[in-house]
Amino acid sequence: MNFIKRIRAEHSNEVTLMAIFIAIFVIMGVLSPDKFLSSNNISTMAYQMPEFGIMAIGMMITILTGGINLSITNGAALSSIVAAFILSSEFSQNNPILGIMAALAGCMIVACLTGVINGSVVAYVGVAPMLVTLGTRTLFEGIGLQFTKGGAISGFPRLYSRIGNGDLFGIPIPLIIYLAVIIVSYLLIERSAWGTEVFMVGCNETATRFSGINTKKTLMKVYIFSGILSGISSIIISSRYNSAKTDYGSSYLMQSISAVVLGGTSISGGHGSVVGTVIAVGIIQILSTGLNMLGVNRYIVDIITGGILIVVLGMKFITKVMDDKKMIKIRAAGISE
Amino acid sequence: MKRFIKKKEFGIVVITVLLSILLTFVSSAFLRVDNFIDILRNNSVYGIMAFGMLPVLISGGIDLSVSSTIALCAVVIGNLMVNTGSNIFVVFVAAIVVGGMIGLINGLIITKFQIAPMVTTLGTMTIILGAVLLQTGGNWISGLPVYFKEFGQAKVAGIPTQIFFLVASGAVTWFILKYTLIGRGIYAIGGNESSAVRVGYNTDKIKIFIYIYSGIMTGIASVVHTSIVQQVDPNTFTGYELTVISTVVLGGASTMGGIGTVLGTSLGILLMGILQNGLILAKIPTYWQKIVMGLVILIAISVDVINRKREKSKLVRVDVAE
Repeated sequence: MNFIKRIRAEHSNEVTLMAIFIAIFVIMGVLSPDKFLSSNNISTMAYQMPEFGIMAIGMMITILTGGINLSITNGAALSSIVAAFILSSEFSQNNPILGIMAALAGCMIVACLTGVINGSVVAYVGVAPMLVTLGTRTLFEGIGLQFTKGGAISGFPRLYSRIGNGDLFGIPIPLIIYLAVIIVSYLLIERSAWGTEVFMVGCNETATRFSGINTKKTLMKVYIFSGILSGISSIIISSRYNSAKTDYGSSYLMQSISAVVLGGTSISGGHGSVVGTVIAVGIIQILSTGLNMLGVNRYIVDIITGGILIVVLGMKFITKVMDDKKMIKIRAAGISE
Repeated sequence: MKRFIKKKEFGIVVITVLLSILLTFVSSAFLRVDNFIDILRNNSVYGIMAFGMLPVLISGGIDLSVSSTIALCAVVIGNLMVNTGSNIFVVFVAAIVVGGMIGLINGLIITKFQIAPMVTTLGTMTIILGAVLLQTGGNWISGLPVYFKEFGQAKVAGIPTQIFFLVASGAVTWFILKYTLIGRGIYAIGGNESSAVRVGYNTDKIKIFIYIYSGIMTGIASVVHTSIVQQVDPNTFTGYELTVISTVVLGGASTMGGIGTVLGTSLGILLMGILQNGLILAKIPTYWQKIVMGLVILIAISVDVINRKREKSKLVRVDVAE
C-alpha cells in the first residue's frame, strides 16, 4: 500500500494521465467492442503510434530546455528524402541489403546535420530556438523540394518496407524500435548526467552556466538528439508509405507539441517526463483511431484533441489553486492556535 | 545620422536597400511604381496580421491561432455574402466581431487559467480549424456578390484599397503602442511582468486586449484576403501563423518580449515582399525560393543577435575602463 501511495504522490501527473488513457480505452471498448477491440485495430495502432511517439520524444527534449523544434517534421522529411534517393538508385536495386544500410546511414547523417544546424545557431549564436527552427523549417522544406521537385520518390527495394510493416515474433518492428527509443531516451534524459543538465538548463540557463556546466554543449547535444529521433521516425514513415515526400508527417508537428504538453512537460522548460509524453501519445492515438472507428468525422477528432489539451491544463490550474487555498487554511489554522 | 545608424532597424534597412539595388540590375521590371504597388498589395494580408501579431510578441506571448482565425472569418463572411447578399459594412463588422471573439477567448484562457500563450493558441488553433473544416467540408465558397468584386478592384488615386488597410492598421498599431497607456503597458509586461504588476498595470486586462486586437486585425485581414482572391478556400491558410511570426521577427521583434517597433515590422513586411517578388523576377526556380527565404530569415535574426551581444560587451568594457 505504501508503494502505491508513494507512486501516487511522486508521479501524480502520470497516474492522472494513465487514468485518462484507461478511461478512454474502456469507453471506446464499450462503444464499439467488435471494431475497437479487434486484433486488427490494435495492430493498426501499434504500427501507427511509433512514428508519432518518437517524434514527440524528440520534440519533448527541446521543450525541456525551454526551447522548441519547429523544424522537426521538415528535418525528418528531408532525411527520409535523402534515404529515398539512395534506396531508389540502381546500386540499391542490385544489392538491396547494402543499399538499405547506406540509406539508413545517409538518413541518420542528414538527421544529425539538421540537429547540428539548429543546435549551433541556438547554442553558439544564441538566437531564440523558436526563431531558429522557424527559419530552418523553411530551409529544410526548400532543400527537400529541390530534391523531389514537389513529388514523391518511390521504387524502394522490397525489403525496406519490412521496417515499417513487418513483425518480429509477432511484435511489429516499429513498436520494437519505439520501445528501444523510449528506454534509451528515459535513461539519457532522466538517468544520466547530461539529462540532469538538460533539466537544469530548462530551469535557469544562467545559473547552470555559472555552476560550471558547458550549457552550449548541452544544448547542442539536445538538438542533435532531437534530430536523430526525427530521423528514426522518418525511416518508419518512409518505409510505411514506401515513398518519401516533403509533406509526409507534417501533421505531427502540432500534434507532437500537444502530446508533450498534455504529458505534463512545462512549455517554459525544466519540468517533464518521458513516461508522461509516451502516455499522452497513447491517449491522442487511441482517441483519434477510436473516434474514427465510431465513424466520427475526422475534424471533430481535431476539435476534441484541442479541447482535451486546454481542459486538462485548465483542470491542472484549478486543482493547483485549490491546493494552495487548502495549504493557506492549514497554515492559518496553525498560526491561530 | 549617427543616431540613425545606431537604431536597431538599421541592419534591415541595409539588407533591403542592397537587395533592391541587386534586383534593379537583375530585372528591369523591379524598380517601377506599379511593381511596388503589387508587392504591397500581395503582402497586405500578411502585413495586417503582422501588425496584429506585433503587440502579442512584444508582450512576450504568441498567437498561433491566427491562421485558423483568418480561415474562420473568411468562411463566415463568405457564407454571409453568398447567402444574404449583405453589404461591405456588415462584412467588415462580422469579420471584426468573429476575430475579436476568438481573441477574447484566447485572452481569457491565457489570463484566467494561466496556460502558456503558445499552448492555449495551439489548442484553439486546432479546435477552430477543425470546426471550420467540419462546417465547410473543406469546400470552396465562390460566387461572391458584385459589390465585393468592385471593392476588391477599387483604386483610390491609382492605389488599391488593400494598401490603405495595410497602412491604416500600421498607423493604428503605432499609435496604440506609442501614445496609449495600454501600449506602454504592453512593453512593460514584455520587459518584466511582475514589475508591470507592481507599477500598477492591470496585466490581465492588457493581455486580453492584446489578443482581441490580434483577432480583430486577423478579421480585417480575412476581408482583405477575400477581396484579393474573390473566393474562400478554408485550406489555404495553414502555415500563415509561421509566415506572420517570421515577418515580425525579421522586423526586429523578440519572441522573448519587450522589444519590437511598428517601423521594424513595416520593414520586415517590405523585405519579405521584395524578397518574394525579387526571387520571381530573377527567375529563380520555385524550389530554390524556399531555401533562400529560410537562409535570409536565419541570417537576419543571427546578425541581429550578434549585434546586440557586441553592443552589450562594449558597454561592459566601458564600465571597466572608467
